Amino acid sequence: MTNLLEVSDLTVEYSSGGYKVRPLSGFSLQAEPGQLGLLLGASGCGKSTLLSALAGLLKPLSGSIRVDGTEVVGMGPKALNRYRQTSVGVVFQAFNLVPSLTARENIELVCRTAGQSRATARSRAEQLLQTVDLEDRMRHRPGSMSGGQQQRVAIARALALDPPLILADEPTAHLDYIQVEGVLNILRRLADDDRTVLIATHDERLLPLADRIVELSPRAAAAAAVAEHRNLEDGEVLFRQGEPGSLVYTVESGTIRLVRQRDDGTEETINEIAPGAYFGELAPMFGLARSATARAFGPTVVSGLPMSEFRARARESEAQHRTGVTND
Amino acid sequence: MGTSAAGSILLASIRDLQWRSRRFILAALATGMVFGLALMMSGVANSFSVEIRNTVDILDAQTWLVRSGSPGPFTDPVPFPVSAVVAVRQAPGVLAADPILVGRALTAGAIVANKPTVAADEQDVNVLGVIPAGVGSPPVVEGHRLGQGDSHTAVVDESLGIDIGQQLALNGTAFTVVGLVTGITYFAGQPTVFIPFSAADRLNADGAPLATAILVRGKPTGTVAGFTQLTDSQVRADLGRPTAQADKTIQLVEVLLWLVAAGIIGAIVYLSALERRGDFAVLKAVGTPSSYLFLGLVLQAILMAVGAAIIGILIEIPMAGGSSMAVRLSPSDYAAVPIVSLIVGIVASILPARRAARVDPAIAFGGGK
Repeated sequence: MTNLLEVSDLTVEYSSGGYKVRPLSGFSLQAEPGQLGLLLGASGCGKSTLLSALAGLLKPLSGSIRVDGTEVVGMGPKALNRYRQTSVGVVFQAFNLVPSLTARENIELVCRTAGQSRATARSRAEQLLQTVDLEDRMRHRPGSMSGGQQQRVAIARALALDPPLILADEPTAHLDYIQVEGVLNILRRLADDDRTVLIATHDERLLPLADRIVELSPRAAAAAAVAEHRNLEDGEVLFRQGEPGSLVYTVESGTIRLVRQRDDGTEETINEIAPGAYFGELAPMFGLARSATARAFGPTVVSGLPMSEFRARARESEAQHRTGVTND
Repeated sequence: MGTSAAGSILLASIRDLQWRSRRFILAALATGMVFGLALMMSGVANSFSVEIRNTVDILDAQTWLVRSGSPGPFTDPVPFPVSAVVAVRQAPGVLAADPILVGRALTAGAIVANKPTVAADEQDVNVLGVIPAGVGSPPVVEGHRLGQGDSHTAVVDESLGIDIGQQLALNGTAFTVVGLVTGITYFAGQPTVFIPFSAADRLNADGAPLATAILVRGKPTGTVAGFTQLTDSQVRADLGRPTAQADKTIQLVEVLLWLVAAGIIGAIVYLSALERRGDFAVLKAVGTPSSYLFLGLVLQAILMAVGAAIIGILIEIPMAGGSSMAVRLSPSDYAAVPIVSLIVGIVASILPARRAARVDPAIAFGGGK
């Protein structure tokens, strides 16, 4: 079957707090119609960023996003608006319904913005609310509905113009277990109708629903990491900010300078690591991207260990130290 | 933009106005009061020019002669012997000419039997001494014109509140009101009293036969020795000189009031735009063009401004009624308020609307609004 969604070598970079952040680097993904994919990963690993890029809300630094054969990256504003209306439907974590509009009007608004007549838009909204079992809540505003009901309205809104791709960002985050059931059923049904559904989530209750699971945190890579010993020349980069990291490094000789890239292109030195000290432990420990670039300052030798080995060495070293202290 | 798209803007804007109705109603009331005040100021400024025009027109002269060196017949009149009018009447181009004496007096209103005059009731009036049935003798809206027989008669402006047949005292001299004129005030609403020329001489010149100007029908072809010829527009300028500064100040206050109105509407719409940032992000994320969001906020501001304009007109009517100053507004002045309010609404909404249109749709992700 032809892929509905093809993401190739996607890199997204943006500024945050004066620094450049690169939550996605060289990311690729394909999905077929009828597939429900789960995007799993820790907070900050780039799930929402990926959804934003797929929804045409965030311009990637490089790479390609093709939906139903059409390239999304590089679209002009009008084409992007059309893409957002007709090709992709988005379900947000906090429902994000317009509070002043009724359930029906929230859906109607999307249809009318796309050029449908009032009667057609109303009829479509009512049909969708029946699909998500909310025909008795059409005239209710979001404030008088439960979280589950609001999320079902949000799903109906995402379907307003019958897009082939549905993106859901933590759709169960604000729901209790009773409400979750209804929402999950609807999301599963969406994929069964030959749509591609991508859900970003932490919620493991969704795992049985998925046709495929995409790990955005580099946990698998961390598990397969191999220890290394590196001789670095002056100025040589050990790892770059934004890259996935699987090893914890210890400086054996020389100095490692940790620098962070500012969004104006300059660098800020945040630390200098002397012989005997270790660095780079946060990325493999929490599945995060490297938060700084490590560069040799003069000829430098470092050793890198996977997290598990590093912990074992640390425990050994601590035990030896304690024994030494006792013997003394 | 299609009608459906326009309908979607209208739907979202009106629903939001309903959703935040208390705030918008309060803002419309506050703005309406400002509009009402601005309208009243406009009426006061109008009254200055209207009363000047009315006063000059009712005297029905084509040329005014004042003593050489006098800036005009009203602001700094220089008296001269009334006999000068004889030479003017004989000058070529003059169809008719009569003297006028411009003065002022104090009155306590209608004289009522057994009711003592109270100082608090006293007010200044403009006194114009004219030749009965001559040039300058005013046509009346009620009663009859000044008669030649009785020098103790007067024609007064309606704003003085004295009826025909009643008496009024001018600097202690009693006059019987025989006719009424309307809208004949000057110096910011001060009523005008027309009395026979001879009575004016007794009142303002101790009985000396003096005049302050000569009203001429026709136009003297040559110069009249010792006199300056003035046209109606020059006389209007002279009459407007004492209130010119007040007029400018009122116009400035009026502009400031429009700005305050724009500020109130702008602040409310800006606040609304800030609060709806999440909504705008979501609407953009589902494909609503930025221009729709921009127009939606402009529409809200316009609706609020026009609502405030209607409130302003309704407020102005009782305010003007209770004002001690003359407030003159024409239907076109009232019609201009919604148009000005429309402009105020558009101007006030530009900043918040631009902000709404620039909202990053990506903020819709991430669980916050």
